[in-house]
Amino acid sequence: MLKQGIKYSIAILLVLVVLSQSVYFKKLSDVKAAATKVFNAADYARKYLKAQLIPAAKAAPQADQLIPMLKSSPGKAFKTYAHGMDIGNIRFFMVQGDGIVTDVDENDVYVLTKDKQTLKIAIEYVFGNALRDAPGIIDIKDFANTMDLNNIAAAVDKIIRDEVLPPFRSQVKKGDNISFAGAFELNQEHINLANIEVIPVVLKINK
Amino acid sequence: MKKILLVATLLVFVFASCQNHSGSAKQKKMAIIVSTLNNPWFVFLAQTAAAQAKSLGYESKIFDSQNNTALETDHFENAIASGYSAILFNPTDANGSVVNVQKAKKAGVPVFCMDREVNSPDATSQILSDSYSGCVSLAKYFVQTLHKKGNYVELLGIVADNNTWARSKGFHSLVDYYPGLKMVAQQSADFDRNKGLEVMESILQAHPDIDAVFAGNDAMAMGAFQALVAAGKADHVKVFGFDGAEDAVQAIKDHKISATAMQFPKVMAQTAADYADAYFKGKRDFPKKIPVAVELVTYDNINDYIAYGKK
Repeated sequence: MLKQGIKYSIAILLVLVVLSQSVYFKKLSDVKAAATKVFNAADYARKYLKAQLIPAAKAAPQADQLIPMLKSSPGKAFKTYAHGMDIGNIRFFMVQGDGIVTDVDENDVYVLTKDKQTLKIAIEYVFGNALRDAPGIIDIKDFANTMDLNNIAAAVDKIIRDEVLPPFRSQVKKGDNISFAGAFELNQEHINLANIEVIPVVLKINK
Repeated sequence: MKKILLVATLLVFVFASCQNHSGSAKQKKMAIIVSTLNNPWFVFLAQTAAAQAKSLGYESKIFDSQNNTALETDHFENAIASGYSAILFNPTDANGSVVNVQKAKKAGVPVFCMDREVNSPDATSQILSDSYSGCVSLAKYFVQTLHKKGNYVELLGIVADNNTWARSKGFHSLVDYYPGLKMVAQQSADFDRNKGLEVMESILQAHPDIDAVFAGNDAMAMGAFQALVAAGKADHVKVFGFDGAEDAVQAIKDHKISATAMQFPKVMAQTAADYADAYFKGKRDFPKKIPVAVELVTYDNINDYIAYGKK
């Protein structure tokens, strides 16, 4: 009789354990909030810029190293430094360097580096995926919605346009010595090194 | 003795079922269901998918939905009932096609979307042109070409298709920063050349003073160009398309239209077939959506391209 009592008690205990693990309660307001949660691209972009993009820019290859490598060993340069989220030929590079401003127009600042490499820094059309994709940090598998990824790119670019460009653009002039870091796009099928346009992350006029 | 016989019989069954399973693996086949075969772009997409399936050793069959979701549903039911093991899918409608994808998932048949998106997480993977980013590049060229000012018209594609809005949003994400550029009309022409012509004719009646047209695909761009020719405005108004269709590539060469954004249907179709093959071999961690880069084509780089891709 006692043994049977123990058996029933254990059985009831087991059933209770199973039930307690099968059912859980959540506040209805929490569930509704989760269902309507909208991805905050601006918030993500701000954190990404600080924690990932700026450190990646500081660790980027020098223009005087990368551009000659793209000329002599493009395959190796793409394999070593290029990233891109899309399937296809468009790839992005992080780059940094110093140089003398040879010209300024409404869209770009033209730079000649110490080793005579030429490139442009975009000061008007800061749009596109270069800053999102070049570091190769953001994983597409983390995003089920591609519009979230588009919005991240747009939000990062907006921060640069609003906060990085204005003080630089208002002061930069021909003959200035500048330091820069950013990202640029190349088509790996048709490499055009004569027209490299860097989307900036860091810009500084050296006094 | 009985036990030994029982175990032996069981072993024979297990062995036979394994044989049967490996046999069915060899017979796997892919259904290619496309929105329409009335457009050469989708014919190319379907045929490339079929060719890639064949090169991977699979039988395949192309089903034409004729832009009709009911017919598409019939194709899904037939494909599932006929034992197709994967569906390479170009949806007719982002929302209207959801039920078909769900049906396939319920039947254990993976679905790989090509080019057009379906609003469902049940598709195994969606391989889609990066229309938004392609239109950001196109928009930059648009603003540069128009020197940041002028009146323009936007022709939208099928309103229920996500590509329509991805292209429009990408375009406006840049163009709208320039207050000198004013959109005087925005209308749908359903990705159709004849409708592009008709809609443009009608818009020109109300807005004769325009400087540019942005069309969500090349068919509408070519239709708009025809309307501009008829109105004697083709020399002044700049036309921008999207797709990389044969006539648009030729029109850029002939200075008739300014630019297009080249899609790569070959890449999308081959990737979809490759993914289905990988699925059969056990892979399951596919990205839900994988974008395929779209490239800006202008007169300056036209010699690098042919219709639907590069030389």
